[in-house]
Amino acid sequence: MTVHTPIETGSRGIPGWALGLTVFVLLVGGVYFAGNLTGENPPIVAQPSPSGGGGGLNAVAIVNEAGCQSCHGPDLAGSGAFPSLHDVENGPVSENLVDFAAEHPDDWAEIWIAGTDPAVSDPGMRGGMPAFAAPPYELTPEEIAAVVEYLESLP
Amino acid sequence: MAVNPKKLRPYDEPPKVRRPLVPDTPDSAATAFLVVSVLWLAAATGIGVLWVATLLFPGQVALNLELQLPIIGTLGIDVSRPTVESGFMNALVFGWLSNAAFAAICFVTPRLTGERLRDDRMGFGAMGLWNIGVAAGLAGVYIPIIAGSGPLGEFPLPAKGLMLLGAVTVLGAMGRTLMAGERRLPYVSLLFFALGLLALLGLLTISAAAQFFALDETPMALVNAFVARGIVTYWVLGAALGALFYVVPRATGSPLASGGMALLAWLLWAAFAGLSAVGALVDPSVPFVITSLGSVGTILLVAPVFLAVATLALTIHGRWSLTLGTGTLAFALVAMAFLLSTALLEAIGALRSVQGLVRDTEWEMGVWLLGLLGSATFAFFAILDHAAPRVLRRDWGGSIAVDTQLWSTLAGVVLCCFALIGAGIAHGSLRAGGAPAEEVQATLSWFLMVAGAGLGLVALGGLAALVALFVMYTTARRAEYVPNPEASAGELPAGAQTAH
Repeated sequence: MTVHTPIETGSRGIPGWALGLTVFVLLVGGVYFAGNLTGENPPIVAQPSPSGGGGGLNAVAIVNEAGCQSCHGPDLAGSGAFPSLHDVENGPVSENLVDFAAEHPDDWAEIWIAGTDPAVSDPGMRGGMPAFAAPPYELTPEEIAAVVEYLESLP
Repeated sequence: MAVNPKKLRPYDEPPKVRRPLVPDTPDSAATAFLVVSVLWLAAATGIGVLWVATLLFPGQVALNLELQLPIIGTLGIDVSRPTVESGFMNALVFGWLSNAAFAAICFVTPRLTGERLRDDRMGFGAMGLWNIGVAAGLAGVYIPIIAGSGPLGEFPLPAKGLMLLGAVTVLGAMGRTLMAGERRLPYVSLLFFALGLLALLGLLTISAAAQFFALDETPMALVNAFVARGIVTYWVLGAALGALFYVVPRATGSPLASGGMALLAWLLWAAFAGLSAVGALVDPSVPFVITSLGSVGTILLVAPVFLAVATLALTIHGRWSLTLGTGTLAFALVAMAFLLSTALLEAIGALRSVQGLVRDTEWEMGVWLLGLLGSATFAFFAILDHAAPRVLRRDWGGSIAVDTQLWSTLAGVVLCCFALIGAGIAHGSLRAGGAPAEEVQATLSWFLMVAGAGLGLVALGGLAALVALFVMYTTARRAEYVPNPEASAGELPAGAQTAH
């Protein structure tokens, strides 16, 4: 059995203050819109995708867990003093890495991320890049290779 | 073999009333959704605690397995920060909040139309379909080879199909009940529920279609962003407002202060919720002016939320003492406060300058959780507190578990959400200043510890809700409906009041 229990309303009208407030909010929205007609949107950030990555590993997840975006920007396109990680396939963006990349043309990015090469473990040379093969990150060579493969896929 | 009938004992007699596999008693669908929703709440908040652990200890709280299965071959399982975050959000939205919203629909529709839900078996079946889909989808999130992508889009395609079937079935039951009633849309709550449910169906269909056609990365990310935002603004917010519009006049015993204001709130919400979803399309491929229009939609959502909260506050006016202590109105009042703060924070976050600072930081999650765990959760707590004694037919006066449910969840949501919002602001500022990763991580860890403690309290609140429901069902005095259909709540015997 269902008992019909309608809900009564005290008034069907709309108070003047409610209408006034609605009009005010609409005006604020209109003014904001008028001031934001031109510009350019940033690229949509690739969401952490369980299927993303290279070499069968979840490279996007590794990048997110390692916190690469906190320095290199949400879309890894660089932020402040930290260079863009896009287009690494064509060599490093940072000048301090040009010579190093010439010495290690095939695996400069892997070595740089790992931070395990004694030649580049000098903090001044490494420019603040943490050694991701060391604690607390402890990325394996396979994970670092997957990250590099992923970075190389970024246009 | 000869049997002496005089020696038959009562236990030899088979039960006279056989319970069908799919129950068809009144409110059986609402009861099923309600019970399952509370189970999901406990599960979702538990996953949430794990998610904060993955934030606090990156790389340490993770599990990567490769299983060798006979037919399938190698099956990878990835339990890491992104997948745990996906599991948390999906369990929260599709497990707890959606089931609670379906329970509210199945509970409210018959009471406002005067018709039985048509029918409860359909509703019960919908509960099964929806929850099998959600459970399978959640498992799929951790299996990279079958998972989808994007926020609230990670479920595998078959899981989304089951959920769509479940949602269509609820819509069918609601529609048939409305068609049978004298007035098709007798009250504003049903308008919120109906549009929210239609939007959920449309958005799930879009998400499934995008996954089926395997769109490229950028279009897929845009579709996912639109769908996720739409599910929150249309489905979660709409169902929460619908629940509050039903429960506040009922709990106060006062008529709704202004039907006109409530209807205006619905019209503005219907328009701006969709526009707000357009604001999620942030990419160079989308014209800037379109994204700006969407941001304006998010800012303008303040208007319907304020109108709705004002109408509800005016309805409570004169009965404020009822909000003291623990109960339906206390939950509703907290929900109203969170609704306003969420709308304001989302409006602030929609400003381009703020977006530039906090984009892809913890701010986004903080504001999202304020809406989901704050506004919507407390709105559904209110209707749970109102509906549970009626569907379970128990004379329930509350207990320490309900107190824990209110205060633990309230403290937890405030701690967790504002710590995440603070973390987002700190993160954005440090990022803009070019701070090194170690400094960023060290600063964020303090905020994340507070957020973790908050989420732990929310989990305790969810557990308390489950305990309260169990204690009510097992210990509370049974209340029966009074046969007189003309009877109002005030005329009922004291022992039966909670059943109406």
